[in-house]
Amino acid sequence: MPKGFFTDTTVCIGCKACEVACKQWNQLPDDGMQFTGMSYDNTGHLGGSTWRHVSFIERPVPMGGADTAGMAWLMMSDVCKHCQRAGCLENCPTGAIIRTEFDTVYVQPDICNGCGYCVVGCPFGVIDRLHDDGRAWKCTLCYDRLKENMEPACAKACPTDSILFGEIEDLHVKARERVELLHERGVKEAYLYGADASSQPGTEGLNAFFLLTDKPEVYNLPPDPIAPAKKAREAWTSAGLASLGLLIAAAGAVLGSRR
Amino acid sequence: MSDGRFIDEEHGILAGEASHQRVRQSQDFPLTPRDETYPHTPTVVESDPTYYDKPVIKQAVWIWSVPAYLYVGGAGGAAMTLGAMAQVAGGWHLRPLVHRCRWIGATGGALSSILLVYDLGRPERFVYMLRVFRPTSPMSIGSWVLTFFGASAGAAAVFSRSGGFLGAVGDMAGLAGGFFGMPLAGYTSVLLSNSAIPVWQEARRSMPFLFIGSAISAAAAILNLFPLRKREARAVSTFAVLGGLLEIAGAAGVERETGAVPQVGRPLNHGVPGTIWKAAKILSTGGLILSMVPKKSRTMRRITGVLGTLGSLCVRFAVFHAGKQSAADPRATFRQQRARLS
Ligand code: SF4
Repeated sequence: MPKGFFTDTTVCIGCKACEVACKQWNQLPDDGMQFTGMSYDNTGHLGGSTWRHVSFIERPVPMGGADTAGMAWLMMSDVCKHCQRAGCLENCPTGAIIRTEFDTVYVQPDICNGCGYCVVGCPFGVIDRLHDDGRAWKCTLCYDRLKENMEPACAKACPTDSILFGEIEDLHVKARERVELLHERGVKEAYLYGADASSQPGTEGLNAFFLLTDKPEVYNLPPDPIAPAKKAREAWTSAGLASLGLLIAAAGAVLGSRR
Repeated sequence: MSDGRFIDEEHGILAGEASHQRVRQSQDFPLTPRDETYPHTPTVVESDPTYYDKPVIKQAVWIWSVPAYLYVGGAGGAAMTLGAMAQVAGGWHLRPLVHRCRWIGATGGALSSILLVYDLGRPERFVYMLRVFRPTSPMSIGSWVLTFFGASAGAAAVFSRSGGFLGAVGDMAGLAGGFFGMPLAGYTSVLLSNSAIPVWQEARRSMPFLFIGSAISAAAAILNLFPLRKREARAVSTFAVLGGLLEIAGAAGVERETGAVPQVGRPLNHGVPGTIWKAAKILSTGGLILSMVPKKSRTMRRITGVLGTLGSLCVRFAVFHAGKQSAADPRATFRQQRARLS
């Protein structure tokens, strides 16, 4: 059964309970206490030991359907998207990154040899190789909890149900209803990001998708992410032709040396 | 506990997914405010918003040994292909060249493996590279190619002067090495472009020509550093000229492809990678011009070899560092994708 997250950013209150729950359940080490000066976001970005990250955007733009004195404060809990076409998985040369029975993307720490190729393969900048550890890490969608029929720690801890966990089909229905409701209430900006292959062909849909109220860029999300292997054909064709060039150059050199 | 998890092992157990993540022990994290303040509220007010100018994607974690491998593997591959061609069509005149090419190939193969293993986060697990074959991963394909290449180039080199059965084995291995040399010289460009890094991804059609041209130049340049007989020298010069032309054409192609969206091509014109890129073009053109001079003296050939080697090295390091810079720039990613959408 495909499982995933639907993160509704309109109800996120920025409490970071998800970040804490994730750290605690997975027993992740801390990443240092940094004061970034970026609104309430002192986490900065997702990384090898940060698998949930709440971003904070303060913007002087009024929000539809609400009287907010011309200001809006956006919050979004970011996470690995568990893409249908996952750049990390397709790039992994060891088979350490697998697709699980829940249709999620999981890195097997006992296999990963730290080649770093998944890091450049992810169009969302999610997965990272940890310097001290040498291996690549990211959100497992609580694979261990899923196997015990429990919901992931972040979704469990989220007090507003901004993070919804469930079967993808159900989440799609809920998400569409939510967008409709918001539109009725005047939040015309609301839309779904990465819900399916038609709206995001590059990844063929995300198992962790979002409801946003502004351009993806505002939340540090790419507007048109693509699994790199989808573009590889052109590169391989050129490489084939260029290899032929090498053969011709070698032949030219050898035959041309007779005189 | 001082590992940043704060779990007292008398009362709690470390069994979570990431409980075995290695971290430096007992760090004292200072509370460090950023000294620059933001002059404006980021986002929407601007036409192209970013998230506090933070990168969208991650930089490659690779170190210097990866661009060094791009050079070494390329040179080894191209040399092996030239060696195989000389073995088939060169007659006994070019036999010393065959011998030299095989040794360059074998050395290149061995050095390549060392450089790549050195870059791994868990070097002791390097054999896992051959655990599966994954056609969507150029790195998986490359690992297999490098394995076959290294084995055949090694055998070809060792039996290069043998006669009889061993000599025949060496010749067979020489052909195999020449065959695997072709993908080895070029797949690294696909490896880079098969990524989310804007400047690499956009250069996907032209980078293979640049890399193979650069590999040919590198192999010819190394050969130029050795004493060669007249006929060998002629062959090497032709090889260098053809490689140099391909390299320069490839570089022009890369500039054209990445220049379509200025923010994507920016790293090749600015900063450290921009400077290395410029040096690469000057050195390669210099090497090409010298290669075209007929009947060079020994010294002239040496200078040509040095220019070609430096040129090829600069190409690899420039492309590598351009990728690092491209990943750090959120606007490169955003504008590349917006251009695709419009
Ligand atoms: S978001 Fe990145 S790390 Fe997560 S599945 Fe997709 S490609 Fe992999």
